[in-house]
Amino acid sequence: MSRQSADLIAAPDLADKVNPATTGVASRRVAAIARNAFREAVRDRVLYNLVVFVLLLIAGAIFLGEISAGQEAKIIVDLGLSAILLFGVFIAIFVGVGLVYKEIERRTLYAILSKPIGRGQFLLGKYLGLCLTLLVNVAIMGVGLSLALIYVKRGWDPLAARIWPAIFLIYVELAILTGVAMMFSAFSSPALSALLTFFVFVIGHFSADLKALSASMGSAPTRWVFAGLYYLLPNLANYNAISPAAHGQTPDGSALLAAAVYGLIYICVLLAATALVFSRRNLK
Amino acid sequence: MKRDYFLVLVIVVGLSAAAMVTRWNDGQERDLKPQFAEEPLYLNGPAMKRLTLAFNGVAADWFWLRSLQYVGRKIVSYEDAHEGNFNLANLSSLDLRLLPSLLRMTTALDPQFLEPYYYGAFILPDLDPNEAIALLNHGIANNPDKWRLYQHLGYIYWQRGDHQKASEVYAAGARISGAPPWMLAMSARMKAEGGAGAAAREMYIHLSEASDDPTVKEMVGKQLLRLDSIEERERISRVLSDYAASRGRCASSWKEISVALRAAGLRVSAAGAPLDPKNVPYRLIKNGCDVDLDEHSEVPHR
Repeated sequence: MSRQSADLIAAPDLADKVNPATTGVASRRVAAIARNAFREAVRDRVLYNLVVFVLLLIAGAIFLGEISAGQEAKIIVDLGLSAILLFGVFIAIFVGVGLVYKEIERRTLYAILSKPIGRGQFLLGKYLGLCLTLLVNVAIMGVGLSLALIYVKRGWDPLAARIWPAIFLIYVELAILTGVAMMFSAFSSPALSALLTFFVFVIGHFSADLKALSASMGSAPTRWVFAGLYYLLPNLANYNAISPAAHGQTPDGSALLAAAVYGLIYICVLLAATALVFSRRNLK
Repeated sequence: MKRDYFLVLVIVVGLSAAAMVTRWNDGQERDLKPQFAEEPLYLNGPAMKRLTLAFNGVAADWFWLRSLQYVGRKIVSYEDAHEGNFNLANLSSLDLRLLPSLLRMTTALDPQFLEPYYYGAFILPDLDPNEAIALLNHGIANNPDKWRLYQHLGYIYWQRGDHQKASEVYAAGARISGAPPWMLAMSARMKAEGGAGAAAREMYIHLSEASDDPTVKEMVGKQLLRLDSIEERERISRVLSDYAASRGRCASSWKEISVALRAAGLRVSAAGAPLDPKNVPYRLIKNGCDVDLDEHSEVPHR
């Protein structure tokens, strides 16, 4: 966060109304930090990835029809959703790990925390700001993908609507990953945090194998270790609906709800852990 | 300003030099590409699926495009070597040894991707029928509601002469919701070609009773005539064989065996020729050693 954003949070109109007992004021503080985190991401040209995405889709829509033997719609969905996930993962990791670190490096954190703002509120605001950035990013990409499908079909294509549950799942996955990145960045360097978050992303997609490993292990302690890892690490395989979406299949309502609830719970856990670590961090 | 010009010059000259080196390198025929083009895939499908994380769909598309390009390149190089004379009926001449593994990989990464199964069902039987059968069985296991996969598999068994298996596959496909009635007809036909005439007849009758479609009823009527004719021809063949065994030669005309034909329960014309279900005389073929439908007969030949 820049000095400008720190000033905004500490602006008289906000500071005058500070009353820690009021939830509304706390929400406004969090919202102000989130807004500024979003503005900062925009200023950092994070949304420039949309240009690459659009070029990718245009190239896919024009050229794939020639070489895919009639499978251009499927390939465009696969390509588009994978790009949404990939760009989102990059943003979640590389922006997420710098959210707190940059504030400490630039010493703007001290200006913010000297105001009546809790460390937890600061973290939550930062997290929501990046989630808003990701939401805008994912939504624009999703609209672009739907338009590309309509262009390829030269008219309405049901796939253009059926991809949205998969896009929602991708967004929840990115929200979890952002939480993971923030948690690591609360106690380690950006490079190490990025690496660890990437490992969590990879292992999160191996959750089925962790479960299978746990079942196939001979000794009880090893079984417990793998079962523990299976339940403790985020189960990101639940959010992989790209291939079914490319075939026009949508997850049923209960699966979407379960994925959303699981994501929400996991994000709460991650933010609580981040706040716990950050509250004990010596910033002097 | 001078410095900027110098830097632009370095960029332009550098890129030009890099392009020249690339051109020179491409010109050095090291014959590595053909080797790599036929290099087997190191990873199996399940391992690749794990490694691609959530990007298995894109990876499947990549292998699908690679399969198409692989066959396309083979056809182009074949045509270059044989003055443009490529015949699709002669796919085995292309040496498509990598295609089965490419299709296996594609379908392992995205088991619901149907096009590779259909493509494999078209091309693989000429190269390795067992690979084609394995691919389609994988497809059926992952898409049990797609009757077209059964149709392709049944056709491959039919081409192999395994009528019993073909009939079973067609029958299984016919049970799928949305499958066309002719799948059951194909199953019956396979039974008939496999020598199970009674079972085939039963299936045709069942098909006719279950359908209100006049074209289905007409088709069943024709196929029942064909089954009648097959049974008659089997009896005529036995009479012809017995005659040949006793006389040491085949019959020169129907008249010579008309008594035996009547004794076998066959309808015979005034000229002594056995009549098909549409009352057209059968004709002697292979110098009187075998029998076939007359070319003007309304009984379906196939």
